[in-house]
Amino acid sequence: MEYLLSIILWFPLVGAVAVALMPKTALQAIKVVALTVSVVVFVLSVMILPAFDAASPDFQLTEQLTWIAVWGVSYALGVDGISLWLVLLTTFITPVVILSQWTSVKRYLKEYMVSMLALEFGMLGAFLAMDLVFFYVFFELMLLPMYLIIGIWGGANRIYAAIKFFLFTIAGSLLMLAGIIYLGVLSGRGGAPSFMFQDLYGLTIPPEAQTLLFFVFTLAFAIKVPVFPFHTWLPDAHVEAPTGGSIILAGVLLKLGTYGFIRFVLPIFPEATFQWAWLLATLGVIGIIYGALVAWVQPDMKKLVAYSSVSHLGFCVLGIFALTQASLEGSIIQMVNHGLSTGALFLLVGVIYERRHSRMLADFGGIASVVPLFTVLFIISVLASVGLPGLNGFIGEFLILAGSYGTFPVLTIIATSGVILAAIYLLWLVQKVFFGPIVHEENRTLPDIGRHEMLAVVPLVIFMVWIGIRPETFLRPMRPAVAQMLELVEARRNGEEILTIEQRNREAARHAMAELRKREAAQEVSR
Amino acid sequence: MSFTPLIEANWYLAVLPEIILSCVGMILILWDAFFPKAKDVLAPLTIVTILAVILFQSPASGLFFGNTWEVSSLTRLFDFIFLVAALLATMLSRDYLRRERLEGGEFYALLLWATVGMMMMAKGLDLLIVVVGLETLSICIFALVAYHGRIAISNEASLKYFLMGAFATGFILYGTALFYGATGSTRIDGLQTAIVGGSPSPLVTIAFIMLLGGFGFKLALAPFHGWAPDVYQGAPTPVAAWLSVAPKAAAFIALIRIVSEVVPMASSVAWTTVLATLAILSMVIGNFVAIAQRDLKRMLAYSGIAHVGYMMIAVLLVRQDAIAAVAIYAIVYALMNIGAFGVVSLLDKNQNDPQTLDDIAGMGFSRPFAGLVLSLFMFSLAGLPPTAGFIAKFYVFRVAIEAGAINLAIIGILTSIVSVFYYLRVVYFVYMKEADESTPLPVLNVLSASALAIAAIGILAIGIFPSPFFRTAVQAASNILLR
Repeated sequence: MEYLLSIILWFPLVGAVAVALMPKTALQAIKVVALTVSVVVFVLSVMILPAFDAASPDFQLTEQLTWIAVWGVSYALGVDGISLWLVLLTTFITPVVILSQWTSVKRYLKEYMVSMLALEFGMLGAFLAMDLVFFYVFFELMLLPMYLIIGIWGGANRIYAAIKFFLFTIAGSLLMLAGIIYLGVLSGRGGAPSFMFQDLYGLTIPPEAQTLLFFVFTLAFAIKVPVFPFHTWLPDAHVEAPTGGSIILAGVLLKLGTYGFIRFVLPIFPEATFQWAWLLATLGVIGIIYGALVAWVQPDMKKLVAYSSVSHLGFCVLGIFALTQASLEGSIIQMVNHGLSTGALFLLVGVIYERRHSRMLADFGGIASVVPLFTVLFIISVLASVGLPGLNGFIGEFLILAGSYGTFPVLTIIATSGVILAAIYLLWLVQKVFFGPIVHEENRTLPDIGRHEMLAVVPLVIFMVWIGIRPETFLRPMRPAVAQMLELVEARRNGEEILTIEQRNREAARHAMAELRKREAAQEVSR
Repeated sequence: MSFTPLIEANWYLAVLPEIILSCVGMILILWDAFFPKAKDVLAPLTIVTILAVILFQSPASGLFFGNTWEVSSLTRLFDFIFLVAALLATMLSRDYLRRERLEGGEFYALLLWATVGMMMMAKGLDLLIVVVGLETLSICIFALVAYHGRIAISNEASLKYFLMGAFATGFILYGTALFYGATGSTRIDGLQTAIVGGSPSPLVTIAFIMLLGGFGFKLALAPFHGWAPDVYQGAPTPVAAWLSVAPKAAAFIALIRIVSEVVPMASSVAWTTVLATLAILSMVIGNFVAIAQRDLKRMLAYSGIAHVGYMMIAVLLVRQDAIAAVAIYAIVYALMNIGAFGVVSLLDKNQNDPQTLDDIAGMGFSRPFAGLVLSLFMFSLAGLPPTAGFIAKFYVFRVAIEAGAINLAIIGILTSIVSVFYYLRVVYFVYMKEADESTPLPVLNVLSASALAIAAIGILAIGIFPSPFFRTAVQAASNILLR
């Protein structure tokens, strides 16, 4: 399939338009169409895998068209080892979200589904882009449906949360826009301007400008992640968002921040990255400990999970700025893990909220015997989040901690205590909700998890186990891309001549040819 | 003294659009006088005329009337902006005028004549032609703002505009006189000869400041912006829509001509600094005061002041790219602001009452189309992709960064962040606020709906496929610098 990525990208938007044109009373049909569209997108995205060469570090299945010629902006799509699983995570989470909200969206169902599909379009565009401006367009585009999702379908304090979410993110990203324009102008100095990642990776940026640009980009992504102390919008947004919104937010949207670090900050500003990595790693570790401690004292389950996100994403940030192969791989896999396990936790909290209209820990207790199936799924998700060996969280955290130790020993030791804290607050949560005597009579009649919800959670659990048992499936395709990224950063730090990736490939090919000829010549001689 | 014959061959081709628009304006008035019952003809005739002029632009190119009148791709581009603005305003006005029982041929005629005035401002290479165009425009505006004679604030607004406008005209005339005194001619390109070695005479400086003040008034550039919120609020809403964009574009093209003569010649930084200060003031005042507004028309007025500030960044840079950026911004701004005002004009309310945010509560669900396009216009005004507003802002900031005016770009971006807040609040009311019982439902007719659709499609088209517009604008901008 030549235009596979374009089809994957645009199909959700086509679906959104189709749903928008349906009569608003056809509730069942709207749900079925939305689900079908998202499942088809997932199936299409799985078709990337056979076409994907796991040994290659480069962008694959690429498509490129000129979009705005005078500025050097292209419509450019591609996947590499870094974005591959994030694309699949996106296409995977969307049907899960639609299924999980099968019966719980009571008002404006049509508009909800349109927003969800539009959101998927935005997320896919950001992960598939190979051009910075093109990326930026989607990075911003995502805000609108998310704003609507929180603001229309959210909880009591939704407006405050929605506006806070929007303004925080836009403040970061508009400043980044100034940086993007500057990069474009800079790339135009040497000839035709270009925003293609590969060209930007080879750009020589004056040191003063580099530090400034580094911080502008870092701010934008740090708000998105969110890195402590830019995290204050996140608990509000999570708590007020409807279940589906929370899942998408934790599952995918936050990953754009960490993805942005890996994709733009490290390779475009390598000198500044080396200079300031300690700062970001420190903030990451503060986030780990702070998030865990705050989560510990939350009386509200959803808030607890939201703060645990701050903690878990701290690991990703630490891993990214430790700049080793293992830590970077760990961060990427941890992004996927966090999407799965936190997504599942939000989903399950949503399930229980719908039944009891409460998320307070104090309102539960001992319900394990009433809702056994639900309990099992919840505990698996919790254990995945805690990082129990055999489940996905362990792989990610282990790689990050093992990889970071060499770079930041003290920080890593502190970060490790975050793992222990996570075990404490999450098991505490399980203990309070599921075990002990049933104190509230109304909990005796709680219905167990329903069919649609089951369908939504089980695939998440399957992947948690799969990644936990067989991480190699997921790590192998990202390895070359991560290695190349680090090599690029390393080369730039050492002040080596800067080559674009294409040039490097050509160089490598020439080198291989020369080797081959030498060997042939040697054979000739020996004969 | 050499004498250039005033009437050249083909002179009528150079002013054909103006002649057509003026004549149709007279026909409209006569028609209304002789057939007062047949008002159905008025709007369609106006629309057809405008469309015809858009399609068959003046066939001649070059300089006419003793080199005081330019017809080029640049003037065509600005003509296009004026005509599209007039077209959308006509389409939005028809329903409004019917609803308010005001429809009359003179309304459309005034709109057409005002357009003629703007075209003169765009084409005049001589300050006197610009002034005559400006006055033609201004007189039409006085009448249009006061058109809703039954309501008090409309009359008050017109009086305000008239008094302030008279001052502005005075400034411009005085500036022109000083200009003549300094250069011995009223030709705009005569200015270059008056500036020798980068140090203009005090007379030229005062003339420039006077002209800047006068045009600043027409642009609603801070600190000359005081009239705008009151006048927009009082004017009939479709008139406010048109008033907020078209005359600004006309003032911009005239100002660009003057600035592009002055700034490259006089190396003294002071003039650029003056312009930059005005741009910054506009962006800051416009955006911060807009936050406090609950009346939609006043909010749009302050946001308009801010947008003029963004455009001024590009004006003061005087490069081919910068002028193209102003042109693109003017087109985009015309579409999105007329669109936004257009939705407000659909609110069927007693005109003396302010149209507040509460009036659009829940519109996204009660009137999905109007709600959707209003949100689109807001996102475009805020400069978010994939709308044209993003492209326009990107262009301006890019030009600024390229020219090394990074401070201006940063202030522009910081104030944009502020602006997101109040544009987003409109979307919040449209989609997240429940309508209360008394909220009037907007009245949507075919004509006004198509006007909104044209604006919305234009916004998306420029946002997604900007390249053809860039080519046109850059090519047009080369005209002004090469001469």
